[in-house]
Amino acid sequence: MSPLLALFAHPEIAPGLSVEDWNGVLRAGHSERVLGRLGYRLERFGVAEACPRTAREAMEGARYYPRFVQVQVEREVRALRRALSPLDTEVILLKGAAYQLAGLPIAEGRISADLDILVRRERLAAIEERLLAEGWEAKALDAYDQRYYRTWMHEIPPLRHKDRDIEIDVHHSLLPLTSRLRPDPALLWEASVPLETPGLRVLGPYDMLLHTAAHLFQDGEIRGGLKDLLDIQGLLESFSGQAGYFGRLLERARRLDLGRPLYYALRYAHLLLDVPIPAEVRRETRSLGPPAPVAALMDRLVTRVLDPHYPLRREPVVSQWLLYVRSHWLRMPPGLLTSHLGRKVWRRLGGRTTEH
Amino acid sequence: MTLADLAAAGALTGGAAGGVCFRTGPFITRLETRFAPMLSLLVRFYGETEAFTTPQIVNFNIALHRPLGPRRWWRAQMRFRIEDTEPFEPYPLSHSYPLFEWGLNWSIATRSNHYLMLHAGVVERAGRALILPAVPGSGKSTLSTALAFRGWRLLSDEFGLIERPSGRVMPLPRAIPLKNRSIDVIRAYLPEAELGPRFDKTRKGTVCHVRPPDDCIRRQQETAEPAWIVFPRYVEGHPTDLIPIPKSLAFVRLAHNSFNYRVLGATGFEQLRALIGRCDCYSLTYSEFDSVLPALAAMADGGRQQGP
Repeated sequence: MSPLLALFAHPEIAPGLSVEDWNGVLRAGHSERVLGRLGYRLERFGVAEACPRTAREAMEGARYYPRFVQVQVEREVRALRRALSPLDTEVILLKGAAYQLAGLPIAEGRISADLDILVRRERLAAIEERLLAEGWEAKALDAYDQRYYRTWMHEIPPLRHKDRDIEIDVHHSLLPLTSRLRPDPALLWEASVPLETPGLRVLGPYDMLLHTAAHLFQDGEIRGGLKDLLDIQGLLESFSGQAGYFGRLLERARRLDLGRPLYYALRYAHLLLDVPIPAEVRRETRSLGPPAPVAALMDRLVTRVLDPHYPLRREPVVSQWLLYVRSHWLRMPPGLLTSHLGRKVWRRLGGRTTEH
Repeated sequence: MTLADLAAAGALTGGAAGGVCFRTGPFITRLETRFAPMLSLLVRFYGETEAFTTPQIVNFNIALHRPLGPRRWWRAQMRFRIEDTEPFEPYPLSHSYPLFEWGLNWSIATRSNHYLMLHAGVVERAGRALILPAVPGSGKSTLSTALAFRGWRLLSDEFGLIERPSGRVMPLPRAIPLKNRSIDVIRAYLPEAELGPRFDKTRKGTVCHVRPPDDCIRRQQETAEPAWIVFPRYVEGHPTDLIPIPKSLAFVRLAHNSFNYRVLGATGFEQLRALIGRCDCYSLTYSEFDSVLPALAAMADGGRQQGP
């Protein structure tokens, strides 16, 4: 385990870290952009004062940018509510915005790249129209990109207000429409929780974790996903203390067709961040995982790309590539995948698409 | 031990895994490079700085390496890496040194939000600091250089680092990059200033670095009390005019000349307000060192006088 993950897993080791350990923590922490949240975490555990000055300053300095973005996200959420008020519709805030507005400790120091929201698919067209009328703009996309989003994806092309810097990703489902797993959005709405502000909701606590798991292990390359793994750690810490938590989490995962991502989430939170997961839960989730040889391969690949070791001996290029291929495999059926990747290669070679 | 001592002992291990580890103001940089001209300029400019032979917790892990492909020899290039990222496109090999200086500036500016960072030259006299914000075309580097050799201690030509919670200015003395015409101006006015090699056709034109005075490097951890904020403006042929300005105006102008005022949010506002509160604020128009230097010295010697 790298010193960065060790410190996230066990903040109490902070006073005993060596100079070399701290250099590892800071290098990896800067690269992964997680020093801000590390600082808050060490503070919550009462060990911030025991850290060397350079490390304290680096963690202090890393707090302001996330807070700056969070203020912009809050403002964007307000603007969104104003814009959508004539429609009398609700939105579910996802990921960073949800953690932040629900007041969860993992929001502290967390950098949000953009604002992710979930809307009901039948209201999607009306919502998009409202936003475009109120000054949000879509990036200019060619016909193929438009079709990629509209026909196959779980979100519309990202929108950005012409006067502001935050991008809004409007989702109508948690995973691409072409994905092998299809959690039913109706179930998510049913279990969602209203925030104090009317019109705003967040996913229920189980679904919040399952969404992060699906996002990290089902909908991307996993590379650069340390931040999501830390979200999983934080969500487990916030909620898993309730009696019967894991039983209900497993039940919910089966219901939403997200058993596989949950298996990965619990496995790597446990392996990489030493998050306590009861042995019987780990046994039970084993049946949700892939066949043994695949599980062994994933263990190797995922621990290589998520655990940042510095100085880098060699970039885990092969692991990254295999996970990249896997992410596409999970997103699309083989025929579509072949044509999509063919098109990407064609484009990279400077070709044009004739799609209209 | 100083960087010069380390070099004299033949222990500059810039290319080995350990790199060379040295102090710049409050920061420690570890530089890894096999490019000998880079290391020799580093020792020439920063010979008096503290160098480390035991492991230190490092702020910036910087590596300058030549690419492995054809660009190693043909139109040779240099790459700048901090931790595991390369924030810039490669530079021509002949511009390796300016690349290092700019890269270090970039690294400081993006990672030091534990300070309020002003884009300003800062000099000190009797423990009190004069801040010269860098309005474009102000000639702040040139003026800072002249002051640094005429009775003031150079804290920085580029970064006014305001410490929290003390509100004091933290030095960050560096080789001063003079650009284009100011190179000849300084050469003529300050024959005692030691200038490094000229770098032509960089993205900022011709650049030539002034070696920082030894004293400002030796005292680079000695903070100073901010006392004056002077917004300089170089206007050819204009007599020296040092005019007090309202603090509200100084606040707005200084906010615009800060690297991180916006990102710091409420903290930035409080820090800037406190800083303006303890300083006398002036606007300065000048063209001649011979009259502007005495005017600033008189301002410093005149004790506190309140702006309107």
